[in-house]
Amino acid sequence: MMRGGRSLVSSPPAFSNDAKKLLVCTSNTVSVFSTVTGLLITSLEGHTALVTSVIVVPPSNPAAKVLCYCWTASLDGTIRYWDFSLPELMKTIDIRMPIFSMVIPSFLDVPAEENGKHQDLFAYVSIEDTKETQERTKASRRQIRKCNLSKSRLVGRLILGETRKPEVLTVSPSGKFFGIRNKCKLHIWKVLDQGSERAAVRKITLHHTKKITVIAFHPTQRIIAAGDVTGRILTWRGFGNRAFAASNGVADQKLINVQEDKPGVRDNDDADSCSTWHWHSAEVNVLSFSSDGSYLYSGGKEGVLVVWQLDTGKKKFLPRIGSPLLYFIDSPDPTLSSISCADNQIHLLKMPSMGILKTISGIKAPCFYPDIYEGLGNGIAFDQTAGIVAVRTENYCIQFYSLFDDRGVSEVQVCERNHQPGDDVTVIVTSVALSIDGSLMSTSEVKLAEEGIGGLVCLKFWDAGSQNKEFSLSTIVYEPHRDAGISAVKFHPSGNMVVSSSFGGDFKVWKCNHDVIQNDQMRQNFSWTCHSVGSYKKKPMTAAAFSADGSVLAVAAETLITLWNPYKNVLLAVLGETLTPIVNLSFVGKSDNLVAASCGSNPQLSVWNMSKLSVSWSYKLHIEAVASAVDLSSFAALVLLPESSKKTTFKGMDGVILLFNATDPVPTVIWSVRKAKGGALCFVQVNPSSVEEISIDGKAPEVLLAYMNGDHEYVLFDPYCKDAREVSVSQKEGLAAHDHKGQAGQYGYASIYGELPEFDRKRPEAPWVPSFPSDRPWETIFSGSSHNLPPLTKLCSAFLESLLEKRTAAAE
Amino acid sequence: MAEIRAEEPASTISKTFLIKPKLKSKPRSLPQTPESKYWSSFKSTKIPNLVSSISSLSFSPSPPHLFATAYSTSVSLFSPLSLSDGDVSPSSTISSFSDVVSSIAFRNDGLLLAASDLSGLIQVFDVKTRTPLRRLRSHTRPVRFVKYPVLDKLHLLSGGDDAVVKFWDVAGESLVLDLMGHKDYVRCSDCSPVSPDLFVTGSYDHTVKVWDVRVENSRSVLEVNHGKPVEDVIYLPSGGLIATAGGNSVKIWDLIGGGRMVYSMESHNKTVTSICVGRVRKENDGAESMEDRILSVGLDGYMKVFDFGNMKVTHSMRFPAPLMSVSFSPDCRTRVIGTSNGIIFAGRRKGKENVESGRVGNVLGFESISEPERRVLRPTYFRYFHRGQSEKPTEGDYLVMRNKKIKLAEHDKLLKKFRHKDALVSVLSRKNRENVVAVMEELVARKKLLKCVSNLDSDELGLLLTFLSKNATMPRYSSLLMGLTKKVIEMRVEDIRNSDALKGHIRNLKRSIEEELRIQHSLQEIQGVISPLLRIAGRR
Repeated sequence: MMRGGRSLVSSPPAFSNDAKKLLVCTSNTVSVFSTVTGLLITSLEGHTALVTSVIVVPPSNPAAKVLCYCWTASLDGTIRYWDFSLPELMKTIDIRMPIFSMVIPSFLDVPAEENGKHQDLFAYVSIEDTKETQERTKASRRQIRKCNLSKSRLVGRLILGETRKPEVLTVSPSGKFFGIRNKCKLHIWKVLDQGSERAAVRKITLHHTKKITVIAFHPTQRIIAAGDVTGRILTWRGFGNRAFAASNGVADQKLINVQEDKPGVRDNDDADSCSTWHWHSAEVNVLSFSSDGSYLYSGGKEGVLVVWQLDTGKKKFLPRIGSPLLYFIDSPDPTLSSISCADNQIHLLKMPSMGILKTISGIKAPCFYPDIYEGLGNGIAFDQTAGIVAVRTENYCIQFYSLFDDRGVSEVQVCERNHQPGDDVTVIVTSVALSIDGSLMSTSEVKLAEEGIGGLVCLKFWDAGSQNKEFSLSTIVYEPHRDAGISAVKFHPSGNMVVSSSFGGDFKVWKCNHDVIQNDQMRQNFSWTCHSVGSYKKKPMTAAAFSADGSVLAVAAETLITLWNPYKNVLLAVLGETLTPIVNLSFVGKSDNLVAASCGSNPQLSVWNMSKLSVSWSYKLHIEAVASAVDLSSFAALVLLPESSKKTTFKGMDGVILLFNATDPVPTVIWSVRKAKGGALCFVQVNPSSVEEISIDGKAPEVLLAYMNGDHEYVLFDPYCKDAREVSVSQKEGLAAHDHKGQAGQYGYASIYGELPEFDRKRPEAPWVPSFPSDRPWETIFSGSSHNLPPLTKLCSAFLESLLEKRTAAAE
Repeated sequence: MAEIRAEEPASTISKTFLIKPKLKSKPRSLPQTPESKYWSSFKSTKIPNLVSSISSLSFSPSPPHLFATAYSTSVSLFSPLSLSDGDVSPSSTISSFSDVVSSIAFRNDGLLLAASDLSGLIQVFDVKTRTPLRRLRSHTRPVRFVKYPVLDKLHLLSGGDDAVVKFWDVAGESLVLDLMGHKDYVRCSDCSPVSPDLFVTGSYDHTVKVWDVRVENSRSVLEVNHGKPVEDVIYLPSGGLIATAGGNSVKIWDLIGGGRMVYSMESHNKTVTSICVGRVRKENDGAESMEDRILSVGLDGYMKVFDFGNMKVTHSMRFPAPLMSVSFSPDCRTRVIGTSNGIIFAGRRKGKENVESGRVGNVLGFESISEPERRVLRPTYFRYFHRGQSEKPTEGDYLVMRNKKIKLAEHDKLLKKFRHKDALVSVLSRKNRENVVAVMEELVARKKLLKCVSNLDSDELGLLLTFLSKNATMPRYSSLLMGLTKKVIEMRVEDIRNSDALKGHIRNLKRSIEEELRIQHSLQEIQGVISPLLRIAGRR
């Protein structure tokens, strides 16, 4: 069982003390990456829910720099203490309430064990109080509390603040202040006496008119910066002079109030001055002071890191990051820092020049398009042999992600278009297909029309050079099916043929002519040309598939399945009818079965037997994805559960994976999964190099099933392994009810279409006999696009000849 | 192809242009090359009245490069500095000779001067005090030459009509070696600039012999035959080549290659009497360097400059008397030629007076073999800014290509600045159909095309309508352009109504659409004819 594809940017990462490691929260674990190579070193596993904070213990003296200790907090309600060099769990503090954020302000002030008396270490946590649900309103259950880490408990009933939403705590580098944002307000606490548990922490509030999104403390001075949703950056100087500095005389405060002139400060807030910078066009997500406090880094949705010189307000930029920024983290090494982007990439920056040194590349999140284009498939393609998945990304790229290594391999820019986060979507990559050996790729894209003008569909073929796996464009076909959209693109098993089906009622088979150019290095030159065009009763073609040996091409014409000989372009057979259009076709490995999935109001999963040309069995299930291994007789289907059953039987699970033997309607194994919408399935062949790490109990599995959910997180597991089955057993009772329902669906279907097999068996006989192309030239003579047709004079003679022949035949 | 054809007539025409005959007669002198310009830049001064033939000329190797002339029974020293002031009187004269002085030679530090006379006596003088320091007597017949080795201060070389070459130790006034081998008068010699032990002598027996004082049996190391009585011989600065003058030819020999003749220069009409090495300032690749030349003078009164790098005579100059001797100063500023009737033609170039002062320390006389001199380029020179640009890569160099600069068309620049309407207008005025459509597609991708259309003023709208009327029916673009045409007319109907020019465009548009419709109709008719036939065929 391998998990991967997790988000690297769910919470801010942290650098180790020597800046050689970067600790990244990846859902339940903390992954430790090397900043030099950008590769995963190790991971801290133990939390059972999302890790929300990771804090590296700073060294108390220079010699302690090599120590690698960190605190982590998670939504599972525990705070854990790790030695991440080993990695080893040292201590667990269970506070039984989900922790959204944790800060430990007082590392620096802990006077170690020198004076004999060990002082307690305190953390401030942002938690949700799950216990007191009955007494309190939901709004005030999110609390800021203090936690004694040394004694492993929360400090009494000390509640520093309550907020409506879980807020992120921000601590000043000096450890004297921490704060949160709360809508248009900032709350700042001063950490007072370290030793005592009960010490009252003082709080001030600063006000603003817009919603504040992020705050940052100056490392040495009393300056706090805050970014708001409109892109402004506010800087308060000398905050808390009154409340924090003055002893406790109310009279004094009043006096100061009268005397002071405080430019820009609102509502009699406790600050000397407030200034505003405005460059960002959208909300500010990143704010951070440089370690010497002379610069301020800011970033936001537009994906530009801005460096402000604090005294003069002069700006420097790092543009073209291409994705909204989420976190900026300074490292103890002044030449290194990191930015986390919303597209699941962490860039390590070389600091004064702000060049990107290395990128820790996670799988990019799926891109969301307006609803009209929803039905165009999920844009995920698998390279079964190499264990690589190709996903389309928001910046018009195809990202290649290694499933075994859990890191990005490369990226191919599909459209020549710069992506700016927040732009209107004008080009959509609708589908991507990879050949079985992974060396060829085909993508289709749609350029959206502006009020009906200038829409363009484009089919592109790519090939990877033999040495490097960089894909290069070999052929572009504009408007391959006139103005109709492409519904599916599939590769022939041999790799030199592609079928593209369109909603415009035809499908085209493209053939690859490749010639090897012998210049200084062997270079293959691929070019793709249209081999044949087919259509069936002008019906929209919605799905296509090649059989495993490549001799049969199945194309779904809405509710019918047409079978073709791809080489001769001859219609072999037409298979019966489903209720709603078929969206997914797949041949089951080497067996003579074809799986068809249709969606809509009457979703259906049906398995057709090619030898009998009839339906074997079917379920009424909403299928999201179907996968079949090349040389197995089983297939897996990802099923979206209906709303009704989701509530009752599956807790939070919205999908199941069913593993079928093609001949048997009873699934052999069932797994339930989350976030199945937009998911994908694939059987991945195990290559020998990665066998050692995957092998579970001594023997290596031949084939693994990869499931990728709607958030592009994936899991690889052996579908035939024992313990995987045991895991699923616990879920099986819950599924039984649904199983039954599915069989009932089959029953109902059989009752309606009981006679279908015989009906189908007869029908294919008819087209079999006369479909020899030589006999009926007029059927094919005018087919093909206009520029491919021979001149009319040539056609005419052939055509008339065929007619004449008929006459003579009739005369005889 | 079309372009080539267009080119050819132009080139032939340019060849057949008649050259208009010039009214002025052609100047007799050839057009000046940079080199002849250089040689003419020596401002000639005549030093007259020196009684008889100038038998020898020699420059002091040390600044300020005095030169000594031997004529009749006296030796005069001249200062080249005073020459440029027009003063032609000698700075000093030595006249303690009993017979005609045949040859003079400076020691390489310029402090001593050796002179030989026809009585067979060789005297060594202090240049400053003009007192004879040593008297070397051994020759029985007239001495024809005396030479100081270039790299040696202690010895002296002499030879004369007794066919013996003698090697002297000057300090002890003693003879070191007698070198026998020549069969006739020995007339000339030169010492190798690279070795203190090697020298060549030339004789009237037509041979030139190379001697090495280290060779024990006092026989010549190498011998070449000039073919004529040898009048003068010099080492070329590399030390590997020698030049010999005899008869009316100057020949260049390769000593390292075993005495092979490299070239024979035969441009003099009479006997060449004297040769010397001169240097010329050459500009190549923006940097200045000095190149060596052979200056030869002959009885025909010509001085020729021979470039032995390219084996070409690069300059020639005529003097009104038979020339006997030539010498060129080490600082390249003075060139003196002595005639047979007692006149010296001294030429001096302008320039900074102490340009050679930096090389005073080079007393060992390495000048002749040192690297060609290059003038240091300073930012005040224009050439400074072109330095190194014509440098060619050598074999092992790794070429770093500069990225090709991308030239953007105007509409691309405007699109980069988000000036969408300007970009559209700019590309419409360029009349390139593909570009217009490409810009329109880009504007669609930015969702700005209709905005642009609504912002066009009436002239620009006319431009757009002209384009549409021409191209809207082209099958390749019709899917985009027909939709656009419709929108344009819908959006700008008011403007079109108000302008006659625009109405004209609309009429054109209408006409082209109607034509297209006619074509479509006729196509449909054809289809109508064919489809029943197809139907019949299909029914079978």
